[in-house]
Amino acid sequence: MLYGIQDISRNILGLGSRPGRLRPGEFWALDNASFNVQRGETLGIVGPNGSGKTTLLKILNGIFWPDKGHVRIQGKIGALIEVGAGFHPLLTGRENIYVNAAILGMTKKEVKGQFDAIVAFADIGDFLDAPVKHYSSGMYVRLGFAVAAHCQPDILLVDEVLAVGDEGFQRKCFDKIGELKKIGCTTIIISHNMHTISSFSDHVLLLDKGQAEHFQSPQDGIHGYNQLFFQQSDTEIDKNCSGNDSIQFVHVETSAKKLNPGDSFTFRLSYEAQHSFPDIEIDTAISNGSDSRLYFQATNRAFGRRIDINQGTGILEVTFKDIPLCQSWSKIILAIWSQKRTELLFWWRVPVEFRGQTYSSGRNLLNIEYQQEK
Amino acid sequence: MKLAEASKKEKTHLPEIFYEPDNSLKNGYFAMFAEIAKEIKNSRWLILQLFKRDLLATYKQSFIGIFWVIILPLVSVLTFIVLNHSGIFTVGQLDVPYPLFAVWGLTFWQTFSTGLLAASNSLVKAGSMVVKINFSKKALVIASASQALIPLAALTTLSFLLCLLYGFLPTMWIILIPILALPLLILLLGLGLILALLNGIIRDIGNILAMLITFLLFLTPILYPLPKGGSLARISLLNPLYYLINLPRDLILFGKSPHWTGFIWSSFAALLAFLLCLAAFHLTETRVAERI
Repeated sequence: MLYGIQDISRNILGLGSRPGRLRPGEFWALDNASFNVQRGETLGIVGPNGSGKTTLLKILNGIFWPDKGHVRIQGKIGALIEVGAGFHPLLTGRENIYVNAAILGMTKKEVKGQFDAIVAFADIGDFLDAPVKHYSSGMYVRLGFAVAAHCQPDILLVDEVLAVGDEGFQRKCFDKIGELKKIGCTTIIISHNMHTISSFSDHVLLLDKGQAEHFQSPQDGIHGYNQLFFQQSDTEIDKNCSGNDSIQFVHVETSAKKLNPGDSFTFRLSYEAQHSFPDIEIDTAISNGSDSRLYFQATNRAFGRRIDINQGTGILEVTFKDIPLCQSWSKIILAIWSQKRTELLFWWRVPVEFRGQTYSSGRNLLNIEYQQEK
Repeated sequence: MKLAEASKKEKTHLPEIFYEPDNSLKNGYFAMFAEIAKEIKNSRWLILQLFKRDLLATYKQSFIGIFWVIILPLVSVLTFIVLNHSGIFTVGQLDVPYPLFAVWGLTFWQTFSTGLLAASNSLVKAGSMVVKINFSKKALVIASASQALIPLAALTTLSFLLCLLYGFLPTMWIILIPILALPLLILLLGLGLILALLNGIIRDIGNILAMLITFLLFLTPILYPLPKGGSLARISLLNPLYYLINLPRDLILFGKSPHWTGFIWSSFAALLAFLLCLAAFHLTETRVAERI
């Protein structure tokens, strides 16, 4: 608050606000984030939470002014930092379209001309004349995006806002973004969905703790993003692997964590069981590292294998045979349950890197081998 | 500097925007006013939309709706009539029935206080919008300050009807109300701009203002004539609000006023305050979003 008074006093007196200097308690939300985007290009911005993505978008939009450095923009900006930010809950959708459009910088003529298109795009039916406080969150986003997408920007800034809409509407939004791109609209898009990033971006800006790295190829950017989380992943087995009083996993070994397509991956577990566990269930899966989508999942039952753990010590080996995955950051998951899944005995997710070029093997079945030693 | 090269290569008609620390004062104070004028001219439609929005929103989901505007001043007038009748408070000799005197005074007072409160809360109230959309904040404050026009119109009508009820015909000056009230509107807009900004940074401003406005109503000779002597009389002679409200009322009720000099000086003061506040707002509005 004191800084605020200090800042505005300096501004009024024309003293300059001492750019580039931090006062106690302040930090650079963005530093060293230089990039440029040409007309008609799409830049994807990725990064962990709190890395400064939205701040960057707000600076580009002129909501925040930089304290150091500069921003140069040619063209009219349309920003979707939060859709429906200007909606008044008591007003109807129809009334809000006019107000919101005016706030987003449209002229009276533009709104009159675009009104029907906005209504058609939002597709909210009779709710158009109901107060927006009665809207579902999806309808809210529909109307908000419809207005913003029709203000004919030269540059469109999109924060992760479309996640709320249903599948059909999301596709409609991306179609609209693609359409705008075709007529030369520059797009800057923030998303945690790497699929969105890879299908839209021409290049990628990776932000981490306010520092930016610019990748010319979206694949490299996504790779860098995944690597951040790969490094953050827990590789400490003690923290993840459970076991309980009646069974202890004393030693766990895995094969190499960098794999080429067609390589195998093995878990080797040494255990000490206090009593026997008949007919255990071993759940195996491979998931996409960033969004936890599963590439593969099966239990030993699917392979018709019955496995018993007898009292005493022993070794259990589970091998993922000839994994046909190409370049990706993934997690290989192994979970061991007692019979009928009453107790989780062991659980571990191992981050692995698959290398090698994109290719189609024609196979998508995976074989798992189970071996027991005494 | 790659960007600069790129933009040189591609000479387009597109408007160029440049954000950099402290560039609002680069062209000097006079160019700044031209910029402000252009901004306000371009956002006329936005101001109208925001005004309509506030108007609709205030009176939706309410049974008596817009009549709330006249209820508050009516209650104040009634209180003073009761106080007057019971002898606790004496207004002395007036040439018109007291209710007419009071209600015309409150017409202008209510215009001022409604507009000032609405304007000073405008940025804080629209906080979520201010940090998510880049739009003209001046338009927002102006639209909120324009809420003052509603009590002005509603209470003028009410006061006029009350005059007819008392069989007292106001003078032709009543037609010139929009012009007579103009200095008051300029003053409230100027103060509204700077208070909105300060309220955005220090929330106490809003609370202090709400309290101060009530005080000011009783400290300014609006519901009673100027006392013959004493400290209140001396303070009032320095209070621009006293002149800006009493001259229009005198003209409407009597067709003449002893306050012309004070009114003209106060109008100049109002204009000066408005320009200063507008300039201060323009120089600092880029700081609003980060503090709100």
